[in-house]
Amino acid sequence: MTSTGFEPKIAAFVCNWCTYTGADLAGTSRIQMATNVRIIRLPCTGRIDPLFIIKAFERGADGVIVSGCHPADCHYTAGNYHARRRFTLFNDFIEFLGIDSRRITFSWVSASEGQKWADIVNDTTARVRELGPFSGYRDLVRSGLTGGQDAGT
Amino acid sequence: MRELKNLAKRLLEEGTVKVVIGYEEGPVGVRPVFVTRPADAEKLVFNSRCVQNLAAYLSRRRGHIARLGKSAIVVKGCDARAVAGLIRESQLKREDVVVIGMRCGGVALRPSDEGPLTPETVADRCSGCESREPKLADHLLGELPPAPPKATRMFELMAQIERMPVAERFRFWAEQFERCMRCNACREVCPMCFCERCIQDKSQPQWIETSPHARGNLSWHFTHAMHLAGRCSSCDECQRACPAGLPLGLLNRKMAEIVRNRFEYQVSDDSTVPSPIGAFKQQDPQEFIK
Amino acid sequence: MSRIGVFVCHCGENIARTVDCAAVAKRLAELPGVAHSVDYKYMCSDPGQALIKQAIAEKGLTGVVVAACSPHMHEKTFRRAVSGAGMNPHFCEMANIREHCSWIHEDRVKATDKATQLASFIVEKVKRNRPLQPIHIPIERRALVIGGGIAGIQASLDIADGNREVVLVEKEPSIGGHMSQLSETFPTLDCSQCILTPRMVETYQHERIRLHTYSEVESVEGYIGNFTVRIRKKSRSIDEEKCNGCGACIQACPNRKSPNEFDTGLGKRTSVYVPFPQAVPNIPVIDRASCLFFRGRAKGAKKDVCKKCEAACGKGAIAFDREDRIIEEKVGAIIIATGYQLYSIGKEQANSAFKGYGEYGYGTIPDVIDGLQFERLASASGPTAGKILRPSDGKEPKRIIFLQCIGSRDPAKGIQFCSKICCMYVAKHTMLYKHKVHGGQATVFFMDIRAAGKGYDEFSRRAIEEDGARYIRGRVSKLERDGEAIKVYGYDTLNGAPVVMDADMVVLATAMVPQTGISTLAQKLSVSYDRYGFINEAHPKLRPVETNTAGIFVAGACQAPRDIPDSVSMASAAAAKVLGLFSNEKLEREPSVAVVNRELCTGCFHCQRVCPYGAIDRFEVKDRKDTLLKTVAEVNKGICQGCGTCQATCPSKSVELEGFTDEQVFAEINALEWTGQGNSGEGGRR
Repeated sequence: MTSTGFEPKIAAFVCNWCTYTGADLAGTSRIQMATNVRIIRLPCTGRIDPLFIIKAFERGADGVIVSGCHPADCHYTAGNYHARRRFTLFNDFIEFLGIDSRRITFSWVSASEGQKWADIVNDTTARVRELGPFSGYRDLVRSGLTGGQDAGT
Repeated sequence: MRELKNLAKRLLEEGTVKVVIGYEEGPVGVRPVFVTRPADAEKLVFNSRCVQNLAAYLSRRRGHIARLGKSAIVVKGCDARAVAGLIRESQLKREDVVVIGMRCGGVALRPSDEGPLTPETVADRCSGCESREPKLADHLLGELPPAPPKATRMFELMAQIERMPVAERFRFWAEQFERCMRCNACREVCPMCFCERCIQDKSQPQWIETSPHARGNLSWHFTHAMHLAGRCSSCDECQRACPAGLPLGLLNRKMAEIVRNRFEYQVSDDSTVPSPIGAFKQQDPQEFIK
Repeated sequence: MSRIGVFVCHCGENIARTVDCAAVAKRLAELPGVAHSVDYKYMCSDPGQALIKQAIAEKGLTGVVVAACSPHMHEKTFRRAVSGAGMNPHFCEMANIREHCSWIHEDRVKATDKATQLASFIVEKVKRNRPLQPIHIPIERRALVIGGGIAGIQASLDIADGNREVVLVEKEPSIGGHMSQLSETFPTLDCSQCILTPRMVETYQHERIRLHTYSEVESVEGYIGNFTVRIRKKSRSIDEEKCNGCGACIQACPNRKSPNEFDTGLGKRTSVYVPFPQAVPNIPVIDRASCLFFRGRAKGAKKDVCKKCEAACGKGAIAFDREDRIIEEKVGAIIIATGYQLYSIGKEQANSAFKGYGEYGYGTIPDVIDGLQFERLASASGPTAGKILRPSDGKEPKRIIFLQCIGSRDPAKGIQFCSKICCMYVAKHTMLYKHKVHGGQATVFFMDIRAAGKGYDEFSRRAIEEDGARYIRGRVSKLERDGEAIKVYGYDTLNGAPVVMDADMVVLATAMVPQTGISTLAQKLSVSYDRYGFINEAHPKLRPVETNTAGIFVAGACQAPRDIPDSVSMASAAAAKVLGLFSNEKLEREPSVAVVNRELCTGCFHCQRVCPYGAIDRFEVKDRKDTLLKTVAEVNKGICQGCGTCQATCPSKSVELEGFTDEQVFAEINALEWTGQGNSGEGGRR
């Protein structure tokens, strides 16, 4: 915990068949993990639009996790391949815009990788806690923000 | 130029096309013209001030032009990429348009900029252009002029941004996006923006905030660049049209660079080559995925 | 105006121990649009479900959210409950506050906050749910069974006897699997071939079973009820129609030196061969790698090197030029029954997760063998006609030492699981050995004796009490050649002393792992598998024979190590599932499919490109004068599987996935701001 006691809020967009089930397995195995993550269930990573991530930041998320099936294992055969390309562009592009890509974790977590899910949750939480709140993003609604606080990270 | 006027006249007289979309001299510089009568073919010009990307007029959103009938269009190499994009994405049938390709020596920044092209006056898009002779053309006209000089301002700005640490980059773009007033000129002028209902106009739910503050604007421009990935014809018209002077060409240029580096793809005027977004390889890069 | 009912389950102590369920219910009651919010001990029980039905009736609820376990557990349960109360089942969803909250956190305050938020997401989502109706599609009522071992055979017979056609694909030239290699089976010591071969023949002769041996699945397309399977029928280089199984070609073949795979390398065979005398079908195969004719051809020989089999064949059935064929079958359900192989103890491993042993001399000391090899020695039709003889010098071993748990239960070798059958077959081996070599001494080094089945413990005691097997609890660190014998360095943990013994033969009970290439097959079927390659069942306790891919079932050792009785049970269970699926004329499908808004669609067809199922067609929108206005995308409801890739790809979001619409997802994201502590955020006002 930082001295300000800041606890990051993390939204996780996960696919129903692999990561959601892997997270279920982590639960069944009673693997303890950080409390900061809120899972939003989607059928496939193919359904995940970059706008979800942008909107999550607008709505107070300090970090985001996007997770699905390993390549070749997608329940819908190819959804994760399309997601992969989409998020390759996203990841490289947001860095250019000055959004720290360390706030976002992309992962492949299968239905039997309960421990891996816990690790992703804990690592992301620790990393985003260190980066601090992403209030700079939400505060972009005010004008004249370029002076003053460190908005960007 | 005589070649162009004669061709246009002939196409109209023979009834091959009902309208020739080209350039003419206007009171404040070159502007688009829609020639429907053979006699008016005399108005057509082609010079280094023919900056506009006329492919925007082939989009179905311009229903009033489509209603005139089959068209011919004057294109530079960069414009031809946009025409190919429209064909690729089923907005236009190849046989419904006569493409008049013009050999090009580069254009100025603005349609009103007189004088020879220099590194200061030449448009950013012309630097390193490899499509000075459009391949997508039913007729290829003109003599190939010498290659245009290279403008370095965009490269320099891009390099400057990439040298900045993340927080500084964020502040840079926040400043830029603060100036955007969401006039949507960038969207209107872009030939590849032909959605019946733009995502910005979707209100249920409203993914992109319509308020013109930096946050809503960032959301719009980010999405616009994502939607143009692998499709943008790099004509920089968005940047030219922007009344607030946002460096929008930079966003699309960066996206094109990412597409090139990651997926080895560059937009061309060959409509049979599909976009990499919508395709995939088993071995696509994924080093950023845990 | 929404009237959502929220039901927070204690799940006994599972949730209530860490989450203050009453507080969660109370906070959610404050959410706009929530008309009823209670907590209860066991929502999935009858009284729990009755609470829901009652609330729907009394409070005119428009939606139900059950905050409890994972929707994978009970979404169907609660949807059925609300259906019973007259509400469209799609107005009911679950918030996972057990697997995703109470079970993974200790801090009660944080867990309660999180549970409240998770439930609020689902409340916001349900407010935007739509009354979806099930989609009916036709089913092809034929099944595909992949794998012709005992599990595949059982499943095929059950389905065929249930009056449905089966396509059975087996990659070896004969069905029978590993069971056909065994000599006698525990706990009865029946002759394996004697109980198996009648089943094999029945399978071959059954009018509703289409058998494709020496064949493999090439590709699978489609979805439940409508799979199109392409099968590669590998070339035997024999015309199956003409061959009558007389075996003249085998007699004539000059090459008698190829290692016999069926005899696990202990015996030899010819190039044109039948794997074993009771093979079904009894049609030979030419092994092109060893056959002189084919090897000559590969080297570019101008004259045919050898055609003795063709000359000997009275039916003209030798067909050197026959190549592989691909055939297509349409089926409605698939059962995976590909069985197992024994972990290969050497350094080379097919699965990179496994590691071999160097210290047991397998491959260097010829008298160190594995369990299947011992079976072949003991088998009357094996390479030694049922005599236990040493592979090195053909002498009868007077002392055999058996090592259990080789590879299994060993994290250092990448195999954490117990292979289940080894304790039993080792006991069996000691008995077979004693019955054949009366003066012989069997010693077993064990960690545990796992004899949990019916008659199993009695059987393993028999080995010790009646057949004099000596059991030493401990492991062996090394095997070494010592003249003609093998020195075994072990440890007796009950006596607490090291033990050094001499053996004439050592049998290693190696781990039971999935077949090589299982992950490729699983990917073709889009079923998931674990790090060992075992096919994942849909639920370890309650859905053991289904996979997560609708229409694809699993039976036998390909899902986990398993003995014959359990493989047969599982195969019959999978067959029952298939027959249940086929008992309807039409299949009712989940309505979570994509729908195109024709007014908004621009006809760019990015969606058509990305759809993994090719479910998107083009539709011409015309006016009343039949003038084409525009061509838009259209989703085939029967084919769409509901992944939503089309929607994320569509720039204008003109195609929406029912059940996960933009409005629903947006509402969930919006709810991030609501903490349930007096702050109702910007969303959630409906």
